[in-house]
Amino acid sequence: MSESYDVVVVGGGLLGCLTAWMAARDGARVLLVDKDQVNQHASGQNAGSLHFQLEYRMVEAGEEAARVAAEAMPLHLDAAAMWARLEEEIGESLGVRQTGGLMVAENADQVGMLEFKAELERSWGLDVRTLDRSELDTVAPYLSRDIVAANLSALEGKADARIAAPAVARAAVAAGAAVCARTRLTGASHTPTGWDVTLRETDRTGEVRTRTVRTAAVVIAAGVWTTELGQVFGAGLPTVPLALTMTVTSKVPAFIPHLVQHAGARLSLKQSLDKTVLIGGGWPARLMRDADGAPEFDRKHQLIPRSIAGNARAAVNAVPSLERVPAVRSWVGTTTVAPDQLPLVGAVKGAPGVFVATGGSAFTLGPSFARVLTGLLAGRSPDIDLAPYDPARFTEGSTP
Amino acid sequence: MGRTGTDHNAIGQAGTEHNVVGHGTGQAGMFDLAVVGAGPAGMAAALTAADHGLKVVVVDEQQRAGGQIFRQPPEEFTGSVLRPTAGYGWATGLIRRFEADERLTTEFGWSAIGVLYDDALPGGLCLAVNHPQDGTRVIGARRLLIATGAYDLPVAFPGWTLPGVMTAGAVQTLVKAQKIAPVGDVVLAGAHPLLLLVADLLVREGVRVSEVAFAQNIPKPADLLHALGAVPGHVRMLAETGGILARLVRNGVRVSSRTVVTAARGEEHVARVELARVDRRWKVTGTPRAVDASHLVLGYGFSASTELARQIGCDLVYDSPKGGWVVSHDDRLRTSVPGVFVAGEPTGVAGADQSRAEGELAALAIAADLGRDVSATALAEAERGIRTATRFSTVVQRMFEPAREALGDLAGRDTTVCRCETVTRGTLDDFLEASPFVSDVNAVKLSCRTGMGPCQGRYCEGSVGTILASAREQPIGLGGRFSAHLPIKPVPVGDLRTLDSFLDAPPDAPPDGPGGDGSGAVDG
Amino acid sequence: MTRDDTWRRTARRRGAAVTVVVDDEPVPACTGETVAAAMLTAGAAFEQDSGGTPRAPLCTMGTCFECAATVDGRPLTRTCLVPVRDGMVVETSRRL
Repeated sequence: MSESYDVVVVGGGLLGCLTAWMAARDGARVLLVDKDQVNQHASGQNAGSLHFQLEYRMVEAGEEAARVAAEAMPLHLDAAAMWARLEEEIGESLGVRQTGGLMVAENADQVGMLEFKAELERSWGLDVRTLDRSELDTVAPYLSRDIVAANLSALEGKADARIAAPAVARAAVAAGAAVCARTRLTGASHTPTGWDVTLRETDRTGEVRTRTVRTAAVVIAAGVWTTELGQVFGAGLPTVPLALTMTVTSKVPAFIPHLVQHAGARLSLKQSLDKTVLIGGGWPARLMRDADGAPEFDRKHQLIPRSIAGNARAAVNAVPSLERVPAVRSWVGTTTVAPDQLPLVGAVKGAPGVFVATGGSAFTLGPSFARVLTGLLAGRSPDIDLAPYDPARFTEGSTP
Repeated sequence: MGRTGTDHNAIGQAGTEHNVVGHGTGQAGMFDLAVVGAGPAGMAAALTAADHGLKVVVVDEQQRAGGQIFRQPPEEFTGSVLRPTAGYGWATGLIRRFEADERLTTEFGWSAIGVLYDDALPGGLCLAVNHPQDGTRVIGARRLLIATGAYDLPVAFPGWTLPGVMTAGAVQTLVKAQKIAPVGDVVLAGAHPLLLLVADLLVREGVRVSEVAFAQNIPKPADLLHALGAVPGHVRMLAETGGILARLVRNGVRVSSRTVVTAARGEEHVARVELARVDRRWKVTGTPRAVDASHLVLGYGFSASTELARQIGCDLVYDSPKGGWVVSHDDRLRTSVPGVFVAGEPTGVAGADQSRAEGELAALAIAADLGRDVSATALAEAERGIRTATRFSTVVQRMFEPAREALGDLAGRDTTVCRCETVTRGTLDDFLEASPFVSDVNAVKLSCRTGMGPCQGRYCEGSVGTILASAREQPIGLGGRFSAHLPIKPVPVGDLRTLDSFLDAPPDAPPDGPGGDGSGAVDG
Repeated sequence: MTRDDTWRRTARRRGAAVTVVVDDEPVPACTGETVAAAMLTAGAAFEQDSGGTPRAPLCTMGTCFECAATVDGRPLTRTCLVPVRDGMVVETSRRL
């Protein structure tokens, strides 16, 4: 066995890159592998929202569901603080701007929901303020006159999903990590000191070569492939894939400084530092599946007319001047949630030395997930209560 | 909207009881076949499909049928009758039959922007189309034929963004169809025989052509004839090419071989170009010489238009002689996506004869697929047509394959590679050096924005692929291709709001559909 | 307007004479012509790139977007595809 590491990180998304960087900074010998390219999947395809308020999907299901979702607030507050200093630590731009996020309301019901939500969030320590119409005239003149109020969280904003993960990967390389693209982890066997993992790599001539490397620990940072990779290590890591629609416009002069979400519609939009406007908000696409109904993540998922149209309507309703701005791309991104909508973070039961993080807002929460994972790798006890996110909580007989 | 068949049902109109667009007649509102592109492949396919009883709609963003190769002048102009390109005597007849066919629904001036799927159309697909005045609609169809043609191969070199630099296809269109001609001295440079046709066209319009520069050795007509064997229908065209060469030389046009254009110079417009000698692999060997020119016409060959196929999710394969990334298909022109067929240049740039033959075969395959009787004789004849055309196109493809590596070297650090986003070669080189883990063009696109602008990467994919291949010492094909997304031609966000209009909000349309002034004809 | 000497009309019989307005300047045209062709023959400037450098049509077949302009209020309209109409308003800008 010529090659050995302290940790092999599987998945070159933002979370994997951050974990590799932090672990390498701690002095660990790190190998990051991705079956495709760094930042090719969810991390590079999501809209880069830094959202710390509860999202529409969390509040639309009622007050009880919102209370459960709010339990992830400590992770959010931690992530908000980490994003604020990440660019300085990485040493290059990640496109981070925490210039505030609005959740807007168009009617009395939605305003009532905002008030409930703001109170709940404040109880967890997130500073949220409700703006009335006259304040919106000053703070967000780009919004439709139909918007009557909004919750404002000053911590919210955006990072640039295009550039963030590759920038962190460069930092990881600078800190001593090895980063291998086109390298798929296909097998693992437990050893007295950790794991021997089998890697299948496509080299620069297109030849496929297989090699085995020895490692003390493994981090699964693989998004929709989490469940599949869990099986390689004999572990059950249930996740639910979601295929969602995003649209980006051509460049327009800067006019939207905030992250904008809607209290009564599927809408999330923001203007990137490139000046494009990113429009999303959870509109579904058709996830491709094989004959047995198993999702096929390497296929191109299908757009649904209703979703693109609905998202465009919601966007123009909230920000009327978007009507004539050219849309350049609508695409499908896949993301993962755990069955109970809370993340999966921690040690993998039954696979000693294997750790995982995924599930819901893994871009926004990426820095926190990575910090927690790096702590676990180094044997530090976590400063955030990980019990609600225990990956074993869906395993039979476990009591979360 | 465009001319429709006898059913008077058009895009965007409430169709049948399902409120789905298209011909009624108990077919759940779906067309049997939607054809994208009214060039040789699309026209031939539409006619053949209609002959087999299929309800066909043809979408093309131009105003008239013909495609790029047989682009017709506007009806208002003198000479609006097409003068066919040498060797393509059948083209005029095909266009006339297509234009006169009452069975076909045609939608000119509409751009196909993508394919989506909806549970309301089981077994069908939704072709989204957009019109600059009339917005976005969706066409339901059981089968789709991608017949989207090709475009001039882009090559990035210093000054290629200057006004006055145009592709050979562009100049041909402006001269033949728009009836305008460049003023001043014209230099043509590249590697494709189309340059000779365009130079001849310009000379006949009285334009001063100072030089035609070919990157390779110009094959002598005798070599071509030898290579081709006796292929009926093409001998005349080649003989004509030889005649053109002689005519150009008689008119004082310098025709250079083993010469590429290395720069276009000028303040606000091309004023002169630099031409340099190259070796057999097109690598520059000598010091460039300056030639005064007000226009530079580029003709290095063609790239297949595969964005729609990419957006749908069809498999593609890299084949440099055939035009780069081309759409994979079986012997009946089925792509990897069920219900989606391909014909013409997207299968490999092979010329109008092969496109027409593929259009016919694809239509027969689609008709058979939909349960129509298709005679074995017809299939065999279409296949023979393809084989005959392939003998010719394979020779041309090999003879004129661009030396992509050398062309990639023409871009210097300050050269704009991505025209839309104004990204230079230097930006790419620096990124690749700093990010050793990147080995795919989409990863470059995401980080550097090359290919993220309005043209969606059509004009920089080749350069990015070549630069990446050279940096990583890997084959161009291994670096992958840009993915393409709806709308493959950008449309206003507001227009996307009606992307589901055929389902639950049929627009209040006049009997002949929205835009009932008929976008096929120009307002007088 | 930049140059009026780069393209000329050839065929004498064209469509009816109309006028389009490009960046507040009247541009004579004939029906059947595309907006791009009318602009080229008038020597009208197309859009500028983000560095302020002028661009002009490259492909005139709807793929390169170099001829795009705001036509009757619709940004990013490919002028090479759109036939002129009397009174059409074309605006060019510096791209971002």
